[in-house]
Amino acid sequence: MIPSTMCDLLRTGVSVIVGTRDAALTPECTRAWGIRVGADRASVTIFLTETVSGKTLCNLKENGLIAVSCTRPTDHVACQLKGRLRRIRPATEKELELSAAWHREFAAELLAVGFQPQLAEQWITRPALAVEIDVTDVFQQTPGPGTGERVRP
Amino acid sequence: MTTVAPRLEDLWPCLQGMIPAALSTCALDGTPNITFVSQIHYVDAAHVAISHQFFNKTHRNVRENPPACAMMLDPRTLQAYRLYLRFKRSESSGPLFDSMSLQLQAIASYSGMTDVFRLLAADIYEVLRIERVEGFTSLPAPPPAERPSGLFIDEDLVSLRLLAERLNRCELLGDLLETSLQLLDERFGFRHSMILLADERNGKLFTIASRGYAQNGVGSEVGFGDGLIGMVARARRALRLSAIDHSLRYARAVRDRAEAVAGKEALCREIPLPGLPGAAAQIAVPLTVRGQLIGVLAVESPEPLAFMSREDSLLTIVAAQLAAGIEHLSREQDDSAVALHTRPQPAPAAGASARARHFCFFHADDCVFVDGDYLIRNVPGRILWRLLTQYCGDGRSEFTNRELRMDSWLRLPEFKDNLESRLILLRKRMEQKCPDVRLVPRGRGRFALETDVAIELSEKKA
Repeated sequence: MIPSTMCDLLRTGVSVIVGTRDAALTPECTRAWGIRVGADRASVTIFLTETVSGKTLCNLKENGLIAVSCTRPTDHVACQLKGRLRRIRPATEKELELSAAWHREFAAELLAVGFQPQLAEQWITRPALAVEIDVTDVFQQTPGPGTGERVRP
Repeated sequence: MTTVAPRLEDLWPCLQGMIPAALSTCALDGTPNITFVSQIHYVDAAHVAISHQFFNKTHRNVRENPPACAMMLDPRTLQAYRLYLRFKRSESSGPLFDSMSLQLQAIASYSGMTDVFRLLAADIYEVLRIERVEGFTSLPAPPPAERPSGLFIDEDLVSLRLLAERLNRCELLGDLLETSLQLLDERFGFRHSMILLADERNGKLFTIASRGYAQNGVGSEVGFGDGLIGMVARARRALRLSAIDHSLRYARAVRDRAEAVAGKEALCREIPLPGLPGAAAQIAVPLTVRGQLIGVLAVESPEPLAFMSREDSLLTIVAAQLAAGIEHLSREQDDSAVALHTRPQPAPAAGASARARHFCFFHADDCVFVDGDYLIRNVPGRILWRLLTQYCGDGRSEFTNRELRMDSWLRLPEFKDNLESRLILLRKRMEQKCPDVRLVPRGRGRFALETDVAIELSEKKA
């Protein structure tokens, strides 16, 4: 289960990056357009576009293994989730609204660290695919001592 | 639509640490990992460096499975780029590490965390492929701005900086000469080079150091005005000869001339100038300080078109620094503050050693032969003879520059005696002709005579 402090973090405008790998163990990375914690707090859904994340989606279909790191730009508070793919499907209308809300919050975070929000607003976040992930591990990733330690619920 | 893959240099705005980059790696058991890195540092056109501050999963993963993938954002547009990387090595010292470490410490000191943020290593990755992530932003790509010249400096400039820093640290003349020729070879590809110092009183130049020749030629002499080197010394202007004809090769000319003028007997007392058998291009640059000639730096190559104006300019810059260094380090080095590490070495009793070296001094021309071979003459010859007689007569093995200067028999000029360079010359000739009898520096202004063999002396009066 994802600890409640981490759930709180994931509800803010965090920067979401995604790591996967192929059969040859070659890593791939991409950006996700928001993250939503499942009601069970044992799963998350991230939003990807096919154009930007083609290789990532291939890797997921092939072996299902994924790492997702979320960092809040204003204070660098961060965590990493490791998990397995549950399924990939088109995002629902409600999820698109959630992704749009995340997008606004993320733009606000960027404004706070000195970037013009319209830059992030120009990111192409649709058509979005919803990638459901069963979370197997949660790691502390705020820079400093203790970074990389597994977090118990 | 086909797009040309961007070059690493084109991504300079992404490499300034304005937006953290994503870095994904994979453990050998197949578990992917993803993390933010505060900055991807440019190393060269094919390499980047990532700071390694804490022992973490990325650090472990790339050491067991080197591939990695980074995603960077252009701070001007938030356009994304992927770098496909391969971990090569880790550096925990050297210029790259030092500059990354200093940057990290400066940032850490702002936040009072100097103990927490400490660079453990600079991890170097090879850039295998760069990809502009299409469909990421609807903003147009910014016009290809000119790369800021201050950001990616020419490789030659990096090498010149390194050379300047290294030469600046040399404390002894011998180190300065060796270091400069070594770096000219390793950093600029000047494989065959030599430094000659001016002996104004005799209107000659003598070779003090060389690199890349079968014979080091140290001690060989060239008259002012003779050949390329002599011409450069006289004109005090750099000269470059490309695709030179064989008959112009100065080394041969000097040798032939010596043979013709003085005959074979005298020639055995000439040290041949180092020279490439098939030299096809040469540059000689005067070493001057405040308009005064110190010597000549010369390089040559078997490639007729090896030297162009780039090489001219590089050597002229290096020569300026070298000349200042030689002038400074050739000054009197008698007032050494360096502690004297004496290793008293008793003179081996005559006949005690199985082997012996026989040195003979010819008073007529101040010439020293070792085991029947010409070794050295003039001032360095007299210096050696003085050292050998004191070693054999009084059992002395430690000497100072100061006592040599006080010794009127050596006939050193009162002003600009070039003592240090004469000692280097002597040391190198001995390394070549009698390596078991050595002059070993003991800090500034001091040296020792060390020998593995018995020494026998004889003299031929004038």
